[in-house]
Amino acid sequence: MVALGGLVAVPIVELARVGVEEWQGGGGLDRAVSGAALFNTMWTGAAVAVLAVAAGTGAAFVTERMAVPGRRWLRLGIVVPIVVPGFVSALSWARAYGPGGLTDDLVGWELPGVFGAPGVVAVVAVNAMPIAYVIAAAALRSRAEPDLERAARAAGAGRRVAAATVTLPLLAPALLGAAALTFIVGINAFGVPAILGTPAGFGTVTTRIYQDLARSASPAAFSRAVLLALLLVAIALAFVAIADRMLAGLGSLTRTAAPAGPQAVARRSGIAAAIAVWLTVGAVTVVPLVALILVALTRGVGLAPVPSNWTLGNFAEALDGPLLGALGRSLLLAAAAATAAVALGALVAALQRRRAGRLYAAAVLLTFAVPGSTLAVAVLLAYGGRLRDTLTIILIAYVAKLWGVGHRTVAGSAAGLPPDLYRAARAAGASAWTAVRTVVAPQVRPALVAGWLLVFLFALHELTMSSLLHGPGTGTLAVEILDLQQLGDVPVSAALATLLTVPPLVLGVAVVILAGGRLLGGAR
Amino acid sequence: MTPAVELRDVAVSYGAVRAVDGISLQCEPGETLALLGPSGSGKTTLIYAVAGFVPLAAGEIAIGGRVVAGPGRSVPPDTRAVGMVFQNYALWPHLDALDTVAYPLRRAGLDRAEARARARDLLSRLGMEDLASRRPAELSGGQQQRVGLARALARDAAVYLLDEPTAHVDAAVRVAVQEEIGRARRASRAAAIYSSHDAAEALALADRVALLRAGRLVQLGTPADVYERPVDLWAARLTGPASVLDGDGGRVIVRPDWAELGGSTSGEVAEVWYRGTHTDYRVATPGGELVVRAPGPPTVAIGDRPGVTVRRTWPLDGAGD
Repeated sequence: MVALGGLVAVPIVELARVGVEEWQGGGGLDRAVSGAALFNTMWTGAAVAVLAVAAGTGAAFVTERMAVPGRRWLRLGIVVPIVVPGFVSALSWARAYGPGGLTDDLVGWELPGVFGAPGVVAVVAVNAMPIAYVIAAAALRSRAEPDLERAARAAGAGRRVAAATVTLPLLAPALLGAAALTFIVGINAFGVPAILGTPAGFGTVTTRIYQDLARSASPAAFSRAVLLALLLVAIALAFVAIADRMLAGLGSLTRTAAPAGPQAVARRSGIAAAIAVWLTVGAVTVVPLVALILVALTRGVGLAPVPSNWTLGNFAEALDGPLLGALGRSLLLAAAAATAAVALGALVAALQRRRAGRLYAAAVLLTFAVPGSTLAVAVLLAYGGRLRDTLTIILIAYVAKLWGVGHRTVAGSAAGLPPDLYRAARAAGASAWTAVRTVVAPQVRPALVAGWLLVFLFALHELTMSSLLHGPGTGTLAVEILDLQQLGDVPVSAALATLLTVPPLVLGVAVVILAGGRLLGGAR
Repeated sequence: MTPAVELRDVAVSYGAVRAVDGISLQCEPGETLALLGPSGSGKTTLIYAVAGFVPLAAGEIAIGGRVVAGPGRSVPPDTRAVGMVFQNYALWPHLDALDTVAYPLRRAGLDRAEARARARDLLSRLGMEDLASRRPAELSGGQQQRVGLARALARDAAVYLLDEPTAHVDAAVRVAVQEEIGRARRASRAAAIYSSHDAAEALALADRVALLRAGRLVQLGTPADVYERPVDLWAARLTGPASVLDGDGGRVIVRPDWAELGGSTSGEVAEVWYRGTHTDYRVATPGGELVVRAPGPPTVAIGDRPGVTVRRTWPLDGAGD
């Protein structure tokens, strides 16, 4: 409780206090500039939500309701973009489909608007889609199980009428919840608009805060950043409330008897649909990453990515001197944040099992929705006096932001444990400690490991807060990549982005396999 | 007379597994047919095939004389004249009982007010008018199953399909649901196909019983047929308690009610189970162990040697298990 207060409550209260002061001090929003930024943030968030929910729902229908070969791998392919950080997606889309990118080199075609609003929306939507997919798939399984559609068909409803009167009404709350969550992802996005939006003069609230805080020293810019941060968190929290309402009880709804019926029953063949999903995954995730890796391997910008032009020099440069230090700091911070987040998460989960845990759990969930930009500004206001430009202040921000991830993974696993398992151990003669050690711990251990790896990964890939909180000599790898990109050193930033993404991608796939059913929503 | 349902050599495959294999049977209008078998014997699959939820690998299904499924053709479920009760109820969480029962009426073309009025009628005929405004989350298991039954009956069907309708309700509710099914069925001339793994239920409810094992039809007959003249030991055990005795002419089965205590055959009581309405005794006889059922509380104790009389047997014809 103390930790939670220190990490989240104190900074946010401090932010609100300073915000009110700034407001009364007449430092109001510069309407001309931030009005456009606010408008851009809202409409890109909405567009991201619509695209992500449409794509995620479509994909969920394919994997859950159709007969597709390799269902497990298809599910994995759909959720994998979640372990690619947004700014790396943005970099790789620019390398794949932008001017002078892979498709431009090969066939002289580039995607119009990669730099600018369309690119920002598309790439953020790609990164948000797995969230919508996971929710839609869970809802299809638990809220709209196939027998409910069959009951409608046996009552005389055609395929379309059954979908309109049964399936959609049952899915609606989940889809609205998914839309609210992906909207939050959209308005909180920083890396993608910073890389694809800023060069085209397309600004959002988050890039505005970055420019005001990291690129300007004027008091007016600072006060505007504070107010924008407050505004962003207010919007995000409003949508969290919606999502929370809509998603309450997902997975535990009114199923009174075990699902019956042969599981393999009457699925329509989905081979064509599965191929379409694979092709989409390839186009939005695989091709851009390949393009990024090719750039990282190629001697200079503008050279054809053929083996004769290949070199490891970019990687050598990436691992040299100051950049190696940044890599070390990133790994250290990520490991520390993961350890702290999982420890705190487990603690909260343990408290929760006793009583009165709901409040903590809700608070923890909220922290994940608080925009990184806001949290960074808030932490800076609360602790910046003493800790400015230290790694500690970055670590505080990471833990505040990410311990919800650690908590949810652990709590999810603990909640799945029937209390009778523990009671059975006690009744078999085990002491409380022995029962926890021999019965509870083995069941929770995979979740602890998975939670640690997830937090580690998210912290390693964190850009928004790091870019606002770092000082001379405390920049993380993600920050260095952003700076290199802005300086125009494309090959080395591509090499760094590859280093940051590809090993964790392999690791991420391992996490998903380890956490198995929980992340993929159970293999059938 | 055109059969309400006719199955000819029906087979259903899931991948390489034949879930239903070469089943032929007919169900006349007004008749109740029970599918009796252990879990995994193909009951649910067969019902799903009649409803139109699984494609046939071979064979043909006709409902009311109209072929609805066969090689290369399958009529969708909503245009087959079926009403269905699902094992897991399959009630729609977003609809209350009234709108659930009105749903098939709406699909049949009635407007909302008319459909609701008819649904209310049906609910009150089934004694559930007080449940009309409740959603599934506010109903007990038995109530949910009765709403599911009302929803099925609301459709004007040639055959009602009931997939283990009492599998998940307790004994008292089971009797109530069975009574309702019987009453509702007698009121219409539609046929009913009813799957169950409970022999007593199947024998009590059905006009004819089909015994299924591993997707194949083992025996088809009236409840008395399958109980008194089972085709083999497996069928005998499935349809009720049976003892196997070695007699002069080979092995025979003896139902508990086919024997009584006292008589010339020697027998020592090994076990006594008092069951309220009657008592079962396990008696060791020279031909083997025999279960004897007698009305009332126990009259002999373990270790007593009352002897037994076997009034009736049924030969196994060497068809063992």
